[in-house]
Amino acid sequence: MIAQAFREGSALLRRRAGVSFVLALSLAVPLSLAGFTASLGLWSGPLTTLESEKVVVRVLLHPRMDEAQRKQWLEDQRRTHPDWILSEVPKEILAERLRIWFPYLEDLLKGENAVELPPLVEVQAPRPEEVDALSDGPAVIAVGPKSSVHRALGRGAKTLVGLATMLSVVLLASAFILAATWIHLEVYRHAEEISIMRLVGVTESAIRSPFVVAAAVPGIGAGVASVLGTLYLVSSVEDVAIRFGLHPPVVPPWIVAIEISAGFLLSILAAVVTLVRHARSEEGE
Amino acid sequence: MNFCTLFSHMIRLRNLTKAYDGRRILRGLDLHVETGEFIFLTGASGAGKSTLLKLLYANEQPSEGQVWVAGERVDLLSRNKLAHLRRKIGVIFQDFKLLRHKTVLENITFVLRFHGLTSRDAHRRAYQVLKRLGLHHRQSALPEVLSGGEQQRVAIARALAYQPRLILADEPTGNLDADLAGELLSLLCDINYQGATVLVATHDHSLLEALPARTLVLHQGRIEYDGSWPP
Repeated sequence: MIAQAFREGSALLRRRAGVSFVLALSLAVPLSLAGFTASLGLWSGPLTTLESEKVVVRVLLHPRMDEAQRKQWLEDQRRTHPDWILSEVPKEILAERLRIWFPYLEDLLKGENAVELPPLVEVQAPRPEEVDALSDGPAVIAVGPKSSVHRALGRGAKTLVGLATMLSVVLLASAFILAATWIHLEVYRHAEEISIMRLVGVTESAIRSPFVVAAAVPGIGAGVASVLGTLYLVSSVEDVAIRFGLHPPVVPPWIVAIEISAGFLLSILAAVVTLVRHARSEEGE
Repeated sequence: MNFCTLFSHMIRLRNLTKAYDGRRILRGLDLHVETGEFIFLTGASGAGKSTLLKLLYANEQPSEGQVWVAGERVDLLSRNKLAHLRRKIGVIFQDFKLLRHKTVLENITFVLRFHGLTSRDAHRRAYQVLKRLGLHHRQSALPEVLSGGEQQRVAIARALAYQPRLILADEPTGNLDADLAGELLSLLCDINYQGATVLVATHDHSLLEALPARTLVLHQGRIEYDGSWPP
């Protein structure tokens, strides 16, 4: 039975060698793109952790607060927000920090009219938006900007991973639809042959097996070709990554294994689903 | 219904009716065919001969009634059980139904392989049947290069090769000359003598006269006559 299936399947392939070759190439395109996007997703995966990195927010306290009041205020904040790290900026670098983070205080800092500088506290917080609320209290004059390049990079990487995952799934689905369409056309071409086989007592599994074999071979070919495609695409973005001082992306061995098995399994699944649907539609008639 | 009674009948029809778009082709047929019988089914064109054969090998479903073949109710069988039942039935199709991409020999060995024969046994048996039908010299030809008579003999060879328990022949001599028709009839008689039940649908009266056998005459979807020929 298995030998018969292989003989019939290879006969089908011989008769449709050109079409099978084109199918293998067509399947390889979405598969290699899926492998490429998955590799990119994996590569940018570690960057997503940057999104949760704590951001330092500068908080300008009231200049009339004495040392005891400042200490008390810091204690209160540490108690209320245990995940925050608060530190007072030393007086030696206070002017410089104020100039960077609160440029509108420039006039207060220079010349003969220079006044006593307000104390500056740096707050490392996982959710910098929460620091904004401090400005509602009487102790705080202003809260500095909260932007972070790392957070932006992490957010971008997270978006890239999400998009890559979605795109990989869509590409795999399109590979499945492509294989199913091809098998559907082949079954349609052999409809008369299949109906004769049924009439002479050939079982459904025996009818399906040559088509499954004929689909599996271009499926494996597509898997191998897609790995080569993925390696080529990934190598083409290596230079760009290195130029930006990032580690170059790599294709992990399990993606290679998944691509080859996806080519094989998708084409087999497409063949089985199409043949079962064809048998059911004939039954309906 | 008694199981033993069912089993001794190769074919049993109960109130069998078949209609297409409301037009009744067969009207409430009741029929018993014992195992090992040789039966002719005759009638004018459109009398329902081919439809009856299609119902027997379950290529059509009855509109009403029941069809039993070799102890199985064919209209209720699953696809796989139907495939197994069809292996007991050799059908000689009016339109031959040969596989276009396969040679004459492969058309026969292909079916035999699915019946569980080894490649060597399948080739040996196919060759024997082809030789008996005078087609062994055409074993490597594709069906499309054969004449109508030769294609019909390949279809006959395929139906006989796996030694079925029931042979259903739809106008098997339609494309054969008188000598070959006589040869085919003798072949069917031999197979019947070995125990197979044979049902031949034909409108060729010379065939009916050549062999004294039970004859069913279909007329407007009903069995008008059931007995020896001539009536």
